[in-house]
Amino acid sequence: MNFLLLVLSIIIYASYGLSNFIYIGFSLLSTFIVARYLNKENKNRKLVLAGTIVLNTAILVFVKFLPYTNINILAPLGISYYTLQVISYLVDVYKGKYEYEKNLLNYALFIMYIPHLFIGPISRYEDMKKELLAKRKITLDNILNGGIRILWGLSKKLIIAGRTGIVIETITSNNSSGGYALLAMFLYSIELYSDFSGGIDIVLGISRMLGINLVENFDAPYYSQNIKEFWRRWHISLSSWLRDYIYIPLGGSRCSKLRKSINVIITFAVSGLWHGANYIVWGIIHGIFVIFGDSYKTKFKWLNRLVNFVIVSFLWSFFIWNGTTEALKMMLSVFTNFNIQEVTQNILNLGLTGADWIVLAVSTLILFIYDGNKIKIMEKTKNISKNTKLALICTFALIVLTFGIYGIGFNVNEFIYSRF
Amino acid sequence: MWKVSSIKNILKTILILIIFIIIFILLNMLLKPKYATTLVEGSMIAEYYDEPKDHEVIFIGDCEVYANFSPMVMYEEEGIKAYVRGSSQQLIWQSYYILKETLTYEIPKVVVLNVNSMRYDKESSQVSEAYNRLTIDNMKWSKEKIEIIKESMTEDETLISYIFPILRYHSRYDELTSEDFEYLFKDKKNTYNGFLVNKNVKPLGNLPIKRNLANYEFSEECYGYLDKITNLCKENNIKLVLIKAPSLYPYWYDEYDEQMEEYAKQKGIDYYNLVEEIENIGLDYSQDTYDGGLHLNLQGATKLSEYFAKILVENYNLTNFHGDAVYDEKLENYKKDIQD
Repeated sequence: MNFLLLVLSIIIYASYGLSNFIYIGFSLLSTFIVARYLNKENKNRKLVLAGTIVLNTAILVFVKFLPYTNINILAPLGISYYTLQVISYLVDVYKGKYEYEKNLLNYALFIMYIPHLFIGPISRYEDMKKELLAKRKITLDNILNGGIRILWGLSKKLIIAGRTGIVIETITSNNSSGGYALLAMFLYSIELYSDFSGGIDIVLGISRMLGINLVENFDAPYYSQNIKEFWRRWHISLSSWLRDYIYIPLGGSRCSKLRKSINVIITFAVSGLWHGANYIVWGIIHGIFVIFGDSYKTKFKWLNRLVNFVIVSFLWSFFIWNGTTEALKMMLSVFTNFNIQEVTQNILNLGLTGADWIVLAVSTLILFIYDGNKIKIMEKTKNISKNTKLALICTFALIVLTFGIYGIGFNVNEFIYSRF
Repeated sequence: MWKVSSIKNILKTILILIIFIIIFILLNMLLKPKYATTLVEGSMIAEYYDEPKDHEVIFIGDCEVYANFSPMVMYEEEGIKAYVRGSSQQLIWQSYYILKETLTYEIPKVVVLNVNSMRYDKESSQVSEAYNRLTIDNMKWSKEKIEIIKESMTEDETLISYIFPILRYHSRYDELTSEDFEYLFKDKKNTYNGFLVNKNVKPLGNLPIKRNLANYEFSEECYGYLDKITNLCKENNIKLVLIKAPSLYPYWYDEYDEQMEEYAKQKGIDYYNLVEEIENIGLDYSQDTYDGGLHLNLQGATKLSEYFAKILVENYNLTNFHGDAVYDEKLENYKKDIQD
């Protein structure tokens, strides 16, 4: 089955352009071969490790800066994700956390497993190996559970992100500022979360159907009370990768306060760079909020959550508008041109009908209620029958088909995070 | 032996799937535009299916046939049983498949094809999803429907969205009106044997300037479909009659006319350029058109139908069906309705 999965992954990957194979092939083979020479007997192993990491990182950085050059090359699919995977693999083998992989096919599948190449999650080798090499069966229960997860993801992506995307597109294309910019920031928070976590749900759902359990990437991020907590709940596989392979090697928190702060800033700058050269400032500001995260925390849980949501939303400006200056200008405009009355009067001229706004509000509310009560809901529903699961799938399918934003003029295959 | 609980579970599964399929079908029906009172052009193709299939003349073509030819007038005048299978911006390949489909129901003596669509090939800006939908959406499922979809689809369209209209029309969830529920299981009849009545009068005004075209030649593609129509009629022993309806705009250039003349001569087909017969028909564009010369109104269509009915009986050996109970009743209803 793994062989089939690999073949299927290669075929799908190839459909995005054969030239992509040069990049992924290099990463795959270089790290597969180098890992064999990282045993303790090898005196030059540190140099070999550093060299391979530098080479792979250089390719990633080069790709990240491509949009700012005249070089007309498309970034290879999944490079942001598999580069981090191969680095973590090499470092772990170097540290002796586990043995290097002897089977090229197993290793290739770890890198090329197609569902997670689009938007992650960034899997660790020890987790993936456990899942891929385990004797697994495609069971009806897995198919139903996976199906529910896929449709839940599609609901988020098509019903919520689809609608918010229309409004944001209208606001940005009209170059509207002030209250409109604020609305775009809040809606982008919802859009990015629905789009990204929806995509991850689909990846996890497909994997579940195949009997593979990938790591969760979100844990109700907008319930965080400060930015530090936010990063424990948002894009978890990236945050934990940065913690384990950047922050801790830099010294982590077992050092002076100043050094710790510098480590945090560097880690978040890397996080920004991972998203693209344009997002380094965004990353650094997040780092600053992490350092001072506890100072603005009050004893009121909901107030903290609200403040955190506002901060995160403002900072998404770097993702909404092109360029740091434009993003800062828009953030400033919220305070200088707070035309909220005009926004409310024009709410139906932003691409959504009244019914669309209601669907958006209700579905977002359901998403947030689910997020806040996920553990309870999971506990209560863990023993539901197969028929109930089937009924859930049918209901979700009908809801998505009716209320989803898709069809002519909409590219539902594209996820925001597949750009990074 | 199966346990009772297993059988119960299987039955439950089947029940869930049946409920899902029923709701899915209902949603598809509900969200698809009904074309009952607005954009009625979308309903015309389907009206044919409920008709008695004993027509001797079938008209095929675009708005220039469904707005200009009244089968009821032809029956009243000459006892002709005719039906207009016209639809908005019906393109030549669509005419071919509509004819092919019609022939699965009946074999008429005469097929009258309006050749206006010869000027539009698949690259033309006149090819659009909106018009495709008006012609295709309400066709019954058949081999011809699949073929017409495949031939007509624009780049953005998909076959599956024709099979499951919810995929195209789901955004109508907030546009649903009482009409969508009223005509969920039934269709509204808007035409009289395919003729769409319009009693408004908008006299001929200033038509756009008649510009010279860079190329007047009909494309190979369009000729290909015209050949297919010609062959289809020949195979079924049907007399094909080509016409150009008497619309003043879009202009039917002399170069177009010459090409059709030549084609008809080559194939041994009759071709009537009715634009040249305006005076003989007695059309007065100060009162016989509802949109300034593009289409005829009821009065103009009546004149044209009387004129053309004579051509048909004189040349194509048609039966005089006067006294047919069904058609007498149809005619009575038609007369009553147009007076209202």
